[in-house]
Amino acid sequence: MSGGTARVDARGGALFAGGAPARAPLFVLLAALLFGLGAFVPTHLLSEFALRIGAGGLLLGMLALSVAFLMSQAGLVALGAASVYGGVGYLFAICLSEWDLSPTAALLFAFVAVVVYSAALGALIVRTNPLAFMMLTLAAGEMIGHSVMLEGLRDYTSGADGLVVNFKGAVFGLTSADFANATQFWPIAWSAAWLLGLAAFAVRRSRFGATLRAIRENEERMRFSGFGTYLPRLAAFVFVNAIAGVCGLLHVLNSGFVSPESLGLSVSTNALVAALIGGVAGSIGPIAGGFLFAVAQDQFGAHGFTQLLTGFAIVVFIVLLPRGVVGGLIEAARRGARRGTR
Amino acid sequence: MIALLIANSLALASLLIMLSSGLALIYGLRDVINFGHGALYMLGAYLGYSIALAGGFWLALLVSPLLLAGLGIAFEYWVLRPLRGRSHIEVALVTLGLGIILGQALIFVYGGEARGVDAPAALAGSVRLFGLSYPLYRIFLIAMGLGSCAALALWLRYSTSGLYVRAVSQDPSVARMMGVNADRLSLLVTSLSAAFAGVAGVLAGPYLSVDPGMDVSMIVNCLIIVVIGGTGSIAGAIVAALLFGFVQVAGSVFLPDLAALAPYVLLFVVLLIAPRGIGRGRAPA
Repeated sequence: MSGGTARVDARGGALFAGGAPARAPLFVLLAALLFGLGAFVPTHLLSEFALRIGAGGLLLGMLALSVAFLMSQAGLVALGAASVYGGVGYLFAICLSEWDLSPTAALLFAFVAVVVYSAALGALIVRTNPLAFMMLTLAAGEMIGHSVMLEGLRDYTSGADGLVVNFKGAVFGLTSADFANATQFWPIAWSAAWLLGLAAFAVRRSRFGATLRAIRENEERMRFSGFGTYLPRLAAFVFVNAIAGVCGLLHVLNSGFVSPESLGLSVSTNALVAALIGGVAGSIGPIAGGFLFAVAQDQFGAHGFTQLLTGFAIVVFIVLLPRGVVGGLIEAARRGARRGTR
Repeated sequence: MIALLIANSLALASLLIMLSSGLALIYGLRDVINFGHGALYMLGAYLGYSIALAGGFWLALLVSPLLLAGLGIAFEYWVLRPLRGRSHIEVALVTLGLGIILGQALIFVYGGEARGVDAPAALAGSVRLFGLSYPLYRIFLIAMGLGSCAALALWLRYSTSGLYVRAVSQDPSVARMMGVNADRLSLLVTSLSAAFAGVAGVLAGPYLSVDPGMDVSMIVNCLIIVVIGGTGSIAGAIVAALLFGFVQVAGSVFLPDLAALAPYVLLFVVLLIAPRGIGRGRAPA
């Protein structure tokens, strides 16, 4: 099995791997500084409109992170990210309006339900080969998209109109209005992006990550060596859907609205493109890719060309820039550093 | 009632057979699933619509597949061959991107609203068959579907090129060692598969409608069929298309509220019982 994106190096992209241990504290310090600056400086410098676009980019970047993780670590491309992203929003809205749960309970319920759904779906589809997996995630995504439009569920989902989500009380000390406020939401999205990025980084560096990459490279060999290949892939699928779930919850809290568009194939392909733009190997790439995508969409989206450009971006980045922008920059920097030391 | 149900599911299955056997053929030769196949079908339908307006349905049924076959040749030369060294997933993603570009370009040219195409005058009415009145156009559709299915089977079974296609599909490296030119076959198969998509698109015009979402809905249906049939198995795809058509039509008759989910239920039931699908597809190399 030639398995997936073979171009990603076997250490799992390893953004930080190879750095001497002595430099590690410096990295941590720099990262903490960057995190602090990024959380608060933009809210003072940028307009509300710019912050809104930036937060949208972070959300897309987190969704791209979920796509990219599965792509780089397991060699599997999921085309159904939108079904979890939008689906968790629908569940949250329905929990609030139909079942009168408290906002925190609704958040938890929606998240757990999505994780259970992805475990059940994954149990069926991670057994198949990577191409069939890609087809099946597309089909499953369309299934969720169709099911919110069903006449029988119209009372819950209001069909094509979508649902307004307006909760009373507070979640984590923040009210509905706080989440909708761009200045307040930016630090939340920024922190979430860091948390998820670090989580993905930790999983990549763990033994589990190494197992996943080994299965990606040669599943048969791993089975021969006495490793189970089914459970690790299932766990990876559940993990990336949990990321997509967090992302979807943040989206619904921020926008206060869910609609069938949030479940559409275009959301999944946007996430895929964001991942390809940034490069799928690390954590920074996909999130930066989401950012770039959001800025590009702001520039060109008004003319209705977003989807057309998405198509072009998929082709261009796979054919010409398979490492993406961030991956390419890192590669160039490494090459430069190597030349410098010689 | 039962006869009507079977006839309607055959009509739907006819379109699905033409599209999914095309997908399975390309997969057999190139290990690539063409995610842009839905967009080819959509292009066939819109070309059919335009040509039918200018010169009638029959001209459209002739010209649209020919144009699509040309596009299939371009696809082979400019996409499949240059990307031969890439992983199959990457090529599949490229076809997805190309499909999005084509679909969006069509929406840009034709606008967002659905278009209706009239059945040609010769096929406009209904006929009485086994005591039932049935639209003549659907009978024509079934005849075209089953006819192309039979032609495909005869070609694969009895011609030399069909033999080579089967050989490459079963074992590419051995077939190549025996002197089969897989590139030339792939050119044939890709143009054939695109032409079939063109036929299906033109035929879909009077039966369904010509609308901007037709590419995605059709590719999803075809992917479900290809997975159910066992990836790469043409016989499996044909059986799966018949099964799919029946489930879809029966669903819309008996459970109209949930009919949209019927294909997915079928898919997951089959996956639960036979993860590799019902046909004997080849595991990817």
